[in-house]
Amino acid sequence: MTTLSVTINGRTYGPPEVRDELTMNDYLREYLGLTGTKFGCGAAQCLSCAVIVDNHDGTSYTSPTCIVPAASFNGKSIRTVEGHAKNGELSILQKAFIDHFAFQCGYCTAGFLNESQVLLERLAKRRVPRAELEKTIAEALDGHLCRCTGYIKYHEAVRDVILADPQRYLV
Amino acid sequence: MSASRRDFVKLLTSSGIALSVSRLALAEEPDFAARETLPGRQNWNPAATGAGRIDGVVKVTGSKLYAGDFRAADLPGWPAKTSHAMLIRATDATHTYDGLDLSRLTGAMKPAVIVTAEDLARIGTRVPGFYAGDLFCPLRKTPLYLGQPIALLIFEDFDAFDQARLALRDATIVKYGEETGPVTRPPYAAFRFTRVAGPTPDAPDVYSPVKNGWVSPGVFNESQHPVWARLPIPTGLDYAEAAGYGEDIRAELAADNPARLVLERQFETQSADPMFLEPESGLAWYDAGRKNLELVVGVQSPYDAAESVAFLLGEADATHKPARINTHFAYMGGGFGGRDHTPFPLYVALAAMFLPGRPVRLANNRYEQFQSGIKRHGFSIHTRMGVDRATGKIFAFAADHVLHAGGLMNFSPHVASVGAVAALGIYYAPKVDITTVSLPSRAVTAGSMRGYGTLQAMTALEVLVDEMCTALPLDPIEFRRRNALKPGERTITGNTYDDSIRTSEILDKLEQHAIWRERAAEKARGKEAGILVGTGVACAHKNYGTGADCSLAAVEIDPQGRIAIRIDDTEMGTGLGTAVANRVAAYLGGVADEVALAQIDAFGPLALVKSGDPYTIDQKTQDAAARNPRWVPEISSATAASTGAHVGTHAAAEAARVIFRFGLWPAALDLWRIGPKDLRAAQWQTARWSDGQLTAPAPAARARRRRGTCACEERRHRRDGSWFQSLGLVAGRFQDRRTKLDGRHRRAGAAPRGRQVRPPRSHRRQVSADRLHPDRHHLHDEVRHAGPRRDQSRNRSAAHRQGL
Repeated sequence: MTTLSVTINGRTYGPPEVRDELTMNDYLREYLGLTGTKFGCGAAQCLSCAVIVDNHDGTSYTSPTCIVPAASFNGKSIRTVEGHAKNGELSILQKAFIDHFAFQCGYCTAGFLNESQVLLERLAKRRVPRAELEKTIAEALDGHLCRCTGYIKYHEAVRDVILADPQRYLV
Repeated sequence: MSASRRDFVKLLTSSGIALSVSRLALAEEPDFAARETLPGRQNWNPAATGAGRIDGVVKVTGSKLYAGDFRAADLPGWPAKTSHAMLIRATDATHTYDGLDLSRLTGAMKPAVIVTAEDLARIGTRVPGFYAGDLFCPLRKTPLYLGQPIALLIFEDFDAFDQARLALRDATIVKYGEETGPVTRPPYAAFRFTRVAGPTPDAPDVYSPVKNGWVSPGVFNESQHPVWARLPIPTGLDYAEAAGYGEDIRAELAADNPARLVLERQFETQSADPMFLEPESGLAWYDAGRKNLELVVGVQSPYDAAESVAFLLGEADATHKPARINTHFAYMGGGFGGRDHTPFPLYVALAAMFLPGRPVRLANNRYEQFQSGIKRHGFSIHTRMGVDRATGKIFAFAADHVLHAGGLMNFSPHVASVGAVAALGIYYAPKVDITTVSLPSRAVTAGSMRGYGTLQAMTALEVLVDEMCTALPLDPIEFRRRNALKPGERTITGNTYDDSIRTSEILDKLEQHAIWRERAAEKARGKEAGILVGTGVACAHKNYGTGADCSLAAVEIDPQGRIAIRIDDTEMGTGLGTAVANRVAAYLGGVADEVALAQIDAFGPLALVKSGDPYTIDQKTQDAAARNPRWVPEISSATAASTGAHVGTHAAAEAARVIFRFGLWPAALDLWRIGPKDLRAAQWQTARWSDGQLTAPAPAARARRRRGTCACEERRHRRDGSWFQSLGLVAGRFQDRRTKLDGRHRRAGAAPRGRQVRPPRSHRRQVSADRLHPDRHHLHDEVRHAGPRRDQSRNRSAAHRQGL
């Protein structure tokens, strides 16, 4: 058993005792009711379960939750799809996803949103040349499975957000 | 739960059980920010401008929308705690099932309840006909198929469930005994479609299914395969007549005639999983005191799900027979056909019935979904196509389809008939003979995965046509143009092809496209650069409206002008909810404040009745039944991709049109002081909405929306007709000769354009995946040649010279 303390979307949960085998996905969905993080493949292959993990140094990365124990998130701060909108206002990425019809069934959306958000934040810290943008987006979103739409509309949504503010994201 | 008109409408009574449906709404997690969770009530709704989709906000904010998102605590009036269940499934279908070994489940991991076949027999459940076969494999019997449920284990809390599933993950749970081999059963269906055209295009057919009726062989050999031959026996004369014509056609195809080219090919398609990302799940709660069963499921066929659960429990003992079943259908129900008539809701209901008082959740993980979810049929297709060399026209076509249908019948008879009817694609032939048989197997049940039957048959056909064009030789587009079925001609069943198909215009478009025009130059350039270049063309059509398709809708406007829409179709991710909102908005001037899908009770107040099988009912019986004004051929059908957003939204659009024409328009005329004799009073079709205001043709005048309600049912049921739509594609493929790696792809499609019901941007779909992530395009299906390839032409000309 582990005494878990984790910050989710700025709110601290815990400290509950959790079994070491309990996955983060089950902790979010079954114990906290945060079902926006999906369960897709159960093998970290589709990444519909991915959440953002924020490091203390200000960097972030995404992590699958379906095969990762909740205990391994002890002491960490994460963001889920429920935390992107602020004060009832959607984030620019969320709006772009809707505007581009980036998803159909939407089951993969949380994972794509989190991955894209991490990309934006990374580019804001370390801009890339315009010529490398397509490759950068493709590499960032690679690994996320979408059964319905075929990826390209997610790709275009992220690209449009970046191109709308080139000084922030591009060299 | 309190019942209002909106969330409790008595649907029908079956076996003394009252059925009703509810819309999942206002579910909120404890201690979490209250928010709306379903479409149509967001403060910010991009669909209101016609630009976005109505379910966009809930999907990007992670709101509860899918069946798998809901727990008991989310549902008003339910107990707070959720119990969890798991199905133990057969991993062997060639030995008898001899018991369970659950010795690993000790202490807290012990299930509260174990449900087996013997328990179902004890309480008196019935299996709905569509799912005929044991719901659980009985002791000492060989499982019907791999993945057949053996037992249902129910745990009181998640912790026990989670520990138990980990303990059982790699364990040998199911014990097997004597080897029996797979269970042998007769085919789910076998048909023969034979047509011989009359001597002239206008003459009646000599023989056809429409003229002479559908026939099945009726005689089976020891291995339960049909005997297709015309047997010299007194029974089955109808079949013998078809077989006689069929054998003549095959003899003609086999004849030695240098003026004709006959290609004979064998194709195999594989079974495939629909691979929808959300595994099947459901939640149920049986309140034994009130004898009330509540269900939460996400399916493509809500009407069937409600009916089937009622049938399952309709004759159960008093303890296990609910007086009322209320089914909540999640907004998302689609799964590429994999959630259409799935037996999963039956097991969800059983879980609740065997742990009364406790809401129980049953959810597949991905492994279980692969193990048990409805699959696409694998086809074995043996085809012969004969073409007259001089004219380049098909003179005869024969095919034999064998469907590998898996453990339960499901839609296999329909898949067999749809595949057979699609076997000749867009083409016409005066003589056609097609046999099809859907065989049970120990594989996972196959059903109505998207494009069922058509996809397998037409893909194989287009490959065959390409070979034929090379062998003749004849330009592939010209061959298609010469042989395309034209309006007025007859399909292989003998139906008149009377829609505006526009295949020839599609072929013209493809021919003019740069990919096709520049194919020789591309090939030459590729040769110089060491790149293999191939350019191909394909054209197919899809029938629609030929099954038991119908569409239910109710549209309401309240005194404040708020619009509410209820339709029976479910959202499959394709934007149906958005499309219906937009179509209604065209008449009522605003995007709906509420859109409720999967509402199979839309016609509850009308007390509609149905009888007979809509697929097989004859015209006389139908005419007699239709004397009852409340009779309809079908009350609600599963949502289907082939009928798509158009059919699914049509009833709502028509309801809105009626409200406008007979409610809003007269009111507007009254406000505008336009009298009935004014010519403008008849010009309702030219009025336009803008920003919620209706503008009259001339002079300008305005009216606000008024209250109105209308419900419509769109029914298409015609046994002697077919509707089709064609689609064409040209594509170029580039492969490095040295590395064999694929390079860029080029493709372009052409299809008749009708009225768009969704914004154009929403249409770009899976094919775009190839452009970005070719390795991630996991829907790739393979159709390959198999077995001997024989060319029956005796003059050994083009086909043999080219090594076919």
